[in-house]
Amino acid sequence: MCDKERIVAYVYEELDRAERAQVEAHLKTCAECREEVAGLRSVRVDLASWAPPQPEFGFHIVRDRKPTWRAWWTPAFGLAAAAVLVLAIASAIANVDVSYETDGLHLRTGRGRVETAVATSAPAPSAAPVAAPAAASTAKADEMRALLTSLAARVGRLESAPRASGMQQAALKSARQGDAEILRRVHDLLAQSESKQHQELALRIAQVIRDVDAQRVADLNRIQQGFGRLDAMTTQEAVAHRDLANYLVASSRQK
Amino acid sequence: MPSTDEELVARSMGGDLDSFNQLVLRWERPIYALAYRVIGREEDARDVCQETFLRAFRALKGFKGQAKFSSWLYRITLNLCRDWIRRERRQPIAQAPEGVDLIELASEATPSESIEELVARREIGRAVARVMAELPDEQRTAIILKEYHGLTFQEIADLLDCPLSTVKTRLYQGLTVLRKQLAREGLPGAARGPWK
Repeated sequence: MCDKERIVAYVYEELDRAERAQVEAHLKTCAECREEVAGLRSVRVDLASWAPPQPEFGFHIVRDRKPTWRAWWTPAFGLAAAAVLVLAIASAIANVDVSYETDGLHLRTGRGRVETAVATSAPAPSAAPVAAPAAASTAKADEMRALLTSLAARVGRLESAPRASGMQQAALKSARQGDAEILRRVHDLLAQSESKQHQELALRIAQVIRDVDAQRVADLNRIQQGFGRLDAMTTQEAVAHRDLANYLVASSRQK
Repeated sequence: MPSTDEELVARSMGGDLDSFNQLVLRWERPIYALAYRVIGREEDARDVCQETFLRAFRALKGFKGQAKFSSWLYRITLNLCRDWIRRERRQPIAQAPEGVDLIELASEATPSESIEELVARREIGRAVARVMAELPDEQRTAIILKEYHGLTFQEIADLLDCPLSTVKTRLYQGLTVLRKQLAREGLPGAARGPWK
């Protein structure tokens, strides 16, 4: 026989009675299979010694609170749009202008542009900060595209640096130093820009407060005038009523 | 009288969280033991164990009861172990704690077992873990399911999606390799029988 599958099934006692009897009969005559069975059983004894660790578990499933429809319906692009809106408003307030020209990266902020815009649209000062960025938006987009293209080209050149020759590597090293210098300037410009933005914001807040105060005073004056007119009208009506009453009294006496 | 797995599963499907947690409590140790013996790392085995129950809970509505609940859990666990082995791209390791703490050992000893016998048992256990880690995955898994979880050949075949004869062959081959390797480690038990 020497059927290995049967030997395994015999060792694990998964044979029916007839098959088991056949195997046992075979084992009486086959020393090799007898030793095979003994060997497999001894391995099973050894296997029993391998115990896993006994950690503390404490797993249990808990029901989480269901998210509201708002959470489900807040799309990622909505968050992105909100972020862009905030940036646009901040940029509009500070009137930030980013451009990349032949002599490097330029950041312009604040008053110079605002004052020009105010001068050209004097009768409506409040419309100027909105109108100016709107008019310049196309130019800004072009500048941003040019800036991104230029930066992508620089990154591409830097990425190819390991494959360059010695001369090229020296040139790239110089370019990297130039980039570090540009980066430092960008940091400086950003810091200046931030400072100017803060100043601009403070100025604008002060302007808004002044406008609100002026409007409040004007409203109070108008209300006061209204009360005066109402008072005058009431006095006139009272005089007319008194005259009418006097007339009626005089008429009744004559009769 | 405790509820059967089937009863607890039915109640869990009806939304009874406590019933599912009873199933977790009942099966967490066997599932952990299976994961630990297949991948050989305590922390990762814990993660696999936890993930098994999470997946089972999420997929509970899809459990139609064709197989036993335990078989279904075993299948999820083995799939996760397979993913782990593929991800880590390495053989399972046999973790062996450093040194021997006699007090800890004494607490593990059965009443009829001396400390010497217990130390010997632990040595054999470590040797088995080392040798098992070197077996091919399919042989190791078959041995684990048979030896430590008491599944029948047919249940293992269903679980591993392979013919019955393949399961027996894997078992025979795995046990034969174990015999040889344990003999090389000089284990007294394994020294019985012929070595080829």
